[in-house]
Amino acid sequence: MDRTERLLDLVALLLAEKRPVSWQRLRTLFKADYGEGSVEACERKFERDKAELLELGIPLTFVPRTDDDEGGYRVDPDAYYLPEPGLSAEELAVLYAAGATALSSGAFPGSQDLAHALRKVAFFADGPLAPPKVRLEPGVAVDTSALPARLDALWAAISARKSVTLEYFSPRSGEVTHRKVDPYGLALRRGVWALAGHCHLRGGLRTFFVHRMRWLEVNPARPKSPDFEVPADFRLDDVIPVWPWHARFHAPIDVDVSLSADLPPVARALFGADPVATPAGPHVTVRATDLDALVSTVLSLSPGAKVVNPPEAVARARAVARTVLDAHGGQGA
Amino acid sequence: MSTEHHERLRRLLFLVPWVSRHPGRPVDEVARALGVTRSELLEALEQLTLVGRPPFQPDDFVDIYVEDDRVFVELDQRLSVPPRLTAAEGVALAAAARVLGPLSSEALKSALQKLERVLPAQAVARFRELGHRLDAASDGPSGLGTLSWAVSERREVRFDYFAQGRGLTERRQVQPAELFTHHGQWYLAGHDVARGADRLFRVDRMGPLEVSDVHLPPREVPVRAHVPGPEASAEPVTVAFVKARAAWVRERFPEARARDDGAVG
Repeated sequence: MDRTERLLDLVALLLAEKRPVSWQRLRTLFKADYGEGSVEACERKFERDKAELLELGIPLTFVPRTDDDEGGYRVDPDAYYLPEPGLSAEELAVLYAAGATALSSGAFPGSQDLAHALRKVAFFADGPLAPPKVRLEPGVAVDTSALPARLDALWAAISARKSVTLEYFSPRSGEVTHRKVDPYGLALRRGVWALAGHCHLRGGLRTFFVHRMRWLEVNPARPKSPDFEVPADFRLDDVIPVWPWHARFHAPIDVDVSLSADLPPVARALFGADPVATPAGPHVTVRATDLDALVSTVLSLSPGAKVVNPPEAVARARAVARTVLDAHGGQGA
Repeated sequence: MSTEHHERLRRLLFLVPWVSRHPGRPVDEVARALGVTRSELLEALEQLTLVGRPPFQPDDFVDIYVEDDRVFVELDQRLSVPPRLTAAEGVALAAAARVLGPLSSEALKSALQKLERVLPAQAVARFRELGHRLDAASDGPSGLGTLSWAVSERREVRFDYFAQGRGLTERRQVQPAELFTHHGQWYLAGHDVARGADRLFRVDRMGPLEVSDVHLPPREVPVRAHVPGPEASAEPVTVAFVKARAAWVRERFPEARARDDGAVG
């Protein structure tokens, strides 16, 4: 019997049976598959089938023998059937819009899982759900045709904790290096996907932009056995920061930024911090571990925003501003 | 890891329930719902007629068929509802939901909580573990969830907007048409009521958002907005970058030309 058919037959049988189905009975019911040939080979075949059903999320369990029952395998219908999640119209619309947006971007890790999840979420909807009027464009202009497959491969490796080997292009050196990496997590920052993981070449935690990977392979050996453990204290945010000025280049420094009267309503969106009213006007205090990144953002808002404290941050902002001015042939103070 | 065989099984386990819930839908509509081509669907339907349960008497098989180019199911063999979400499906959906910033939308936040409740009990731990390994959240500035709702529901919005060019904040009344990212920056495209014209707004420069109860009529011409770049200016613009930045500039602007001194422009 074809394997797909056999697995579906098993699901249909175990969903219909109120009592556990013993291995002996399964061997009789599926004689051609589990009942003929050596017992060991039949058991191995059934173990593979069981593993695949479990991977599909089928709640297949083994019930031990009791005085009243010989025990066996069963699928609890309540655990199997997708319940109505009870989403309101707004919840369903927003969740579906977000999922469909990510899927239609063409580059989202676990895209097949996402497609199935969306179908299931929409299963109980009264009518077809409208395609979202939201678009995600890639944040880089280089050829990104390989991005979807790389993201899916990386996500599969992260989920199964399998090492990857990759060729990585560095714009700084202009060279391509061959690396073995234990992939810990993926993050989307400003439209760009980045991988965090342990780099065997550098012997430490590193970040890799997925669009700079020239070649990628997930370790094909022993696909069911993990190659590594993710450190318990690993946090994706620590390695791939949300805000550019949180990249870890130096010790943390708290920087005061004064704002013009118009900026406080958008301060949280711009700096991730709430503004504070002071006699000198509104301020935000931003903790930076990459001062230049913060200075760059503040200067882009000039004259609406200005670094006012501490003195070393003020000096750095002035130096960067002067460099910009010099580059444009300016004579200002 | 997903394989072709694994995918086929997942699709078949969804196909019977879908047709059971939507009997008599055209073949092409069923194929779209399943994300497959028409011929792949017909092949899947053919395969399903061989699926059943022992002792495999005629009534023990799935009875699913096409009549007048429409799909019906007579006997679903208890495959009437799809299986629950797997942990991986839940993680992918939760991560995708966060693209729009769950913290900014009560609806998204509560939807994700309900989503976790319908995961199989044995998948919850894995869902939480993997959830920390995939992060698309930070790209969404506050207000995205609510804005996406307003766009899909065609509701007028009002917000404070900081116009960088003029250095001032104004209240805007906008009929939203599309929300999109460009170079990692979120934009809202819509009709600015006061100005009587279509405008683009950077979402990170929007202040508190108010959504009107009024439904707007659909726009006659679908909008696909774009952010004007240097190519939109009448006069050619040349920007020079020093040699040290050349590789990064080429990554973002592949059309940049190399100069004699190694710089690009």
